[in-house]
Amino acid sequence: MASNAANLNAVRETMDVLFEISRILNTGLDMETLSICVRLCEQGINPEALSSVIKELRKATEALKFFYFIFEVWEPELSTIYKAAENMTS
Amino acid sequence: MAAPPPPAHWSHFEQEQARDVRALVQQVTGLGEEEPGGRFQAALSFTSSNFRFHRFLDVSSHKVERTVEGIYEKLIIHSELGKAVSWKRLTEKFLNLPLPNTEKTKTDAHYAILSLLLCLSDSPSNTNYVEKPREKEVEKEEEFNWGKYLMEGEEIYFGPDMNSPDWSEDSEEEEDTQPLSREDSGIQVDRTPQEEQDQNKKMVPNVTWKVGEPDARSWLEQHVAPQYWTGRAPRFSHSLHLHSNLAAVWEQHLYSSDPLYMPEERTLVTETHVIRETLWLLSGVKKLFIFQLNEGKVTVRNDIIVTHLTHNCLRSVLEQIAAYGQVVFRLQKFIDEVMGHSSENLTHGALSTPKKATGAPFRTYQAFMWSLYKYFISFKEELTEIEKSIINKDKTITLSIVIDKLLPRLAQLKVLHKVFSTGVAEVPPDTPNVLRASHLLNTLYKAILEYDSVGEASEQTVSLLFSLWVETVRPYLQTVDEWIVHGNLFDPAKEFIIQRNKNVPVNHRDFWYATYTLYSVSEKTENEEKMSDNASASSGSDQAPSSRQHTMVSFLKPVLKQIIMAGKSMQLLKNLQCKDGSPQQTASRDAERKSLYTLFLESVQSRLRHGEESVSDIITEQQATKQSLIKMQSIAERHLELDVVHDPLLAINFARLYLEQSDFHEKFTGGDVCVDRSSESVTCQTFELTLRSCLYPHIDKQYLECCGNLMQTLKKDYRLVEYLQAMRNFFLLEAGDTMYDFYTSIFDKIREKETWQNVSFLNVQLQEAVGQRYPEDSSRLSISFESVDTAKKKLPVHTLDGLTLSYKVPWPVDIVISLECQKIYNQVFLLLLQIKWAKYSLDVLRFDELVSAAEKPQLKEGPLLQQERVPQFGPHTELIKQQIHRMFLLRVKLMHFVNSLHNYIMTRILHSTGLEFQHQVEEAKDLDQLIKIHYRYLSTIHDRCLLREKVSFVKEAIMKVLNLVLMFTERWQAGLGAWKMESIEKMESDFKNCHMFLVTVLNKAVCRGSFPHLESLAVSLMAGMEQS
Repeated sequence: MASNAANLNAVRETMDVLFEISRILNTGLDMETLSICVRLCEQGINPEALSSVIKELRKATEALKFFYFIFEVWEPELSTIYKAAENMTS
Repeated sequence: MAAPPPPAHWSHFEQEQARDVRALVQQVTGLGEEEPGGRFQAALSFTSSNFRFHRFLDVSSHKVERTVEGIYEKLIIHSELGKAVSWKRLTEKFLNLPLPNTEKTKTDAHYAILSLLLCLSDSPSNTNYVEKPREKEVEKEEEFNWGKYLMEGEEIYFGPDMNSPDWSEDSEEEEDTQPLSREDSGIQVDRTPQEEQDQNKKMVPNVTWKVGEPDARSWLEQHVAPQYWTGRAPRFSHSLHLHSNLAAVWEQHLYSSDPLYMPEERTLVTETHVIRETLWLLSGVKKLFIFQLNEGKVTVRNDIIVTHLTHNCLRSVLEQIAAYGQVVFRLQKFIDEVMGHSSENLTHGALSTPKKATGAPFRTYQAFMWSLYKYFISFKEELTEIEKSIINKDKTITLSIVIDKLLPRLAQLKVLHKVFSTGVAEVPPDTPNVLRASHLLNTLYKAILEYDSVGEASEQTVSLLFSLWVETVRPYLQTVDEWIVHGNLFDPAKEFIIQRNKNVPVNHRDFWYATYTLYSVSEKTENEEKMSDNASASSGSDQAPSSRQHTMVSFLKPVLKQIIMAGKSMQLLKNLQCKDGSPQQTASRDAERKSLYTLFLESVQSRLRHGEESVSDIITEQQATKQSLIKMQSIAERHLELDVVHDPLLAINFARLYLEQSDFHEKFTGGDVCVDRSSESVTCQTFELTLRSCLYPHIDKQYLECCGNLMQTLKKDYRLVEYLQAMRNFFLLEAGDTMYDFYTSIFDKIREKETWQNVSFLNVQLQEAVGQRYPEDSSRLSISFESVDTAKKKLPVHTLDGLTLSYKVPWPVDIVISLECQKIYNQVFLLLLQIKWAKYSLDVLRFDELVSAAEKPQLKEGPLLQQERVPQFGPHTELIKQQIHRMFLLRVKLMHFVNSLHNYIMTRILHSTGLEFQHQVEEAKDLDQLIKIHYRYLSTIHDRCLLREKVSFVKEAIMKVLNLVLMFTERWQAGLGAWKMESIEKMESDFKNCHMFLVTVLNKAVCRGSFPHLESLAVSLMAGMEQS
C-alpha cells in the first residue's frame, strides 16, 4: 500500500515534469492526451508514427469543424456543400 | 451505441492498446464513438493502420539526446536562459523518473516519449514560457494549505469558475468539463489526511478550494483597509525588530514583574491609523474609533495599542490631541449654532438665543463665527495636505512629525479657545446682546493687547487674533458707519452700545439729549448701567470715573464721543436737509463713498504693507547701522577721552544708545509687524497705535465733516448766531436803546404809583420798543408777570420780581437755547432791571425838587406858625440845609455805588464775557460743544452777576443797597417834610455798613485772586469809601 502510494507519487511527478516539457516544446497536448501518449509509447508504438497520426487527426478535425459550421449555417444548400467538401477531401 | 467489444482472440495487451487508441482519437478529434457518418471509425482505422504500418525507424536514444541538447543550445542562443535551464533540468529529471508502467529509468519508452514530444513540438523558442511552475507550485501548495487551514469551517462558496490555473489556458474546452484539476487533487492528497478531507467535504459540500482563491484574497487584503474599528482586526504582520515590538516587550515585562498584572484585550492599530484619526479629529469629524465623543467631551479609547509604544505613552500623546479635538469640536459647535443648522438641544447657556428666534440675527456673533470658519477652512486645508502625503506614502510621517507640524496651529487653537470661552461661552444665557457683543469685542481686544505685550514670541497669535478681531468688529463698524454717515442707527439685534430711544422724534427739542442711550458695561461688576446719553456725552471721557475703566467696547472709547456726536449730528442734519431736499445728490455721493470698514481695512493693509517693506529694508539697513555704529563709536570714544576715560565697551554702548534713539521714530511708525520689540513701550502700544492710525482718523474725519456741516447749517440756514445775539440783546439788555424805551416806561409807571403789572400793558410797551428796531424779533418776544409771594414784596426792590421775558426759539435752535437757558437769562434780566431801576430812580431825582419840597410846607404853614417859628428859624433852616446837604451827599454816594455796580455788570461782565462767547461760538466744532459753550457762558455770567447761592450774602448786601436807593428816592420825591434826621442817619449808616461789608468781602476775594473780574468793582467801591 505504502509502496503503491510512493509509486503513485513518483508517477505523478513524472507526469508533471513531462507536462512541463510538453509546455516548453509547445506541443499543444493536454494532460489527458499526454498520459494516453505515454501509455501508447510504453506499449511500443513508434513515437514518430504517433506524432504524425496526431498531426493528421488535428488537421482533419480542423477541416471538419469548418465544414460543420457551414452545414449548420446553410442548411438548404447542404447537399451541394457536402459534395464540395467530399470533393475537397478526396 | 456502445463500443464494439474487442475480438476474443486479442490478448490483454492488444485490448489495452485498442482502448488507448480509441481514447486518443476521442481526445484529439473530439468525436464520439457513436458519431454518425462513420467518421470516428475512419479515424480509428486510420490511426491503427498508421501505427502498424509505418516507415519510421526505431527510437535512437542518442538521437533524442542530441536533439535535446540542440534545443538547449537553441534556447541559449535565443537568450531564453530561464527556459533553457528549465528545459535541461526537466528533461534530465524526466529521464530519471519511472513511467507508469515502467519501473526503470532512461528506458526506450522514456526516449520514445521525448521523441514524440519533440516531433510534436511547434517552435518552442517562440512561446512564452516564463513561469516556473514547479517552484510556483510548491509555494502555491503551501499557500493553499494555509488558506485552507485558516478558513476551515468557513462557509464561503467559490464557484468552479474561480478556477484558473495558469497552465490550463491551452485547453479551455477540456477545462470546462473538468472542474477539478488534477493538480489540486494531488496537493490535497499530498498534504491533507484523507479522513479530514472527507470530513471537510461532508461538512461543506459546496466548497471547492482553488489554487487561485488565496491570490484574490491576498489582493483584497492588500488593497482594502483592515477594519480595525470593528474591534476584531486581523493580526497584520509587522517587523520583528525589537523597536517595533516595544509594547509587547513592555507587556511581557509587566507580566513577569507584577504578579497581579492582568493583560487586557486591546485592539492593535498602526501609527498610520492613529495619525489619520488625529487628522480627522482635528478637522471636526465626530464619529471616530480612537477618539470618542461623549456629551461634548472627547476621550481617548482605552483599549488601543500600537506595537512600538507602550500603552501609557500612546495614551498620553493621544490625550493631548483629544484636548485639541475637543476645542475644535467646541468651536465647530459654535459655528454650527450661529449658522443655524444646529440641533436644538442647546443645553449650555452660551447661545440659548431667544432673541435669534424672534428675529434679527446677532451680527457680531455671526462675524466672529465667520472669522472662525475661515480659520478652520485653512486649518482643514493643512490637515488635508498632510493626509494626502500619508496616502501618497512619499515621505515618512509619524505621529510626532504630524504634531510637530501642527504645533503652531495647536497653539492657535488654544488661544482661540481661550478667547472663545471667555468671550462667548462664559457669558450667562440671558445677557442682552449689547453686553455680549461688547464683551466679545473686549475680550478679543484685551487678548490682543495681552499677547502684543509679550512681544515677538506671540507675533503669530497676535496676527491671528487681530484678523479675528478685524472680522468681528465689522458689524460694529458698519453700524457706526451707517450712523455717522447716514444718520440712522441700524441695529436690529440691539448689539451696539448706543441705542435709539424710539419715543423721541427727531424734530423735538429733547432730541439731542434724550434720543440715545449709551450702554455702559462695567467689566468688573458685569452689571449693566444705563447712563443717560446726556450725562455721558456732555461729561465726555475725561470726567468718567476711574472705576469704569473697562466699560463698553474699549476700542471705541477714545472716539466714542466723536461717534456719538457725529451720529446725532448726522441724524439731525439729515432731518434738516430733508426739508431742504436734495436726496439725489447725497445718493450719488454715497455710491462713490467707501464704507468705514473698507477704509479701515485699507489703512490697516497699507500700514502692514509698509511694515513688510521695511522688513526687507532691514537687511540693508543693518549694514548701514553697523557702519554708523562704528562711526558713532569713534565719536563717543573721543568724547570720553575728553573726560579722560578709556573704556571701549562704554563707548560702544553709548554709540548703540544714540543709534537707537535716532531710529526710534522710524521703528515706532513701522507698525506692529516690523516693530523692533526690544523696547517695551513700543510693544505695548503698537496695537493701539494701529487703531489710532487706521481707524480713529476715519471716524474723526467723518466726525469733523458732519459736525462741521451741522454747525454750518445751523449757523447759516437757521441763524443760530443771530438768535444768540437776540438773547443777549433783549435779556442782557445789549440793545440798550430799545430796552431803555421798554423799562423806563415801566419805571415811570411805578414812580407814579400806577399799576404796571398789567400783562397787556407790558406787552404793548415791549412790542412798541422792539418793533421799531427789531421787527422780526417782536413777534417772538413776550413778557409775562407772575405775582410772587407777598412776604418779599414788602421790599421795594422786589417789586419787579415775577417779570419774565420769553423768547420763542424755533427748532432746531432751541436745542442750544433751551428753556433752562432762558430761565438763567431771565434771572440776569431781572437783576439788570433792578439795577437799572435803581439807577434810573436816582438819575431822575432833581435837586430843586428837594429844595422846593423843603420850602413848600414852610410856605403853607408859614402864616400860622411864623411867629413861633421865627426864633427857631435860624437853626431850623440850618438844620434843613444840613439835611438837604446830607441828602445830596447820600444821593451822590448811592449813585456812585449804583453806577459802579452798573458799570461792572454791563461792561466788565456782560460785554467782555459776551465777546469771549462770540469767539468761542465761531470755533465750536460740534453741536454738543456749542451747547456746552453756551451753558458755560450762561453760568459764567450767572456767577459773575453774583447770582450763585454760594455768594448770596454779597447779593443780599447789594439788594439791601438797591432797596435803600429805592426807599431813598421815594422819600426824596415825597419831600423833605417826610424826613427826619434819624431816618437819614439810619440810611446813611445802613448804606455805610453795606458798603463797608461789600468792600471788605470784595477786597478779600480780590486779594485771594480767585475772582479777578471783581477787582474793578472792588476798586470803584473802595473809592466811594475813601470819600466818605
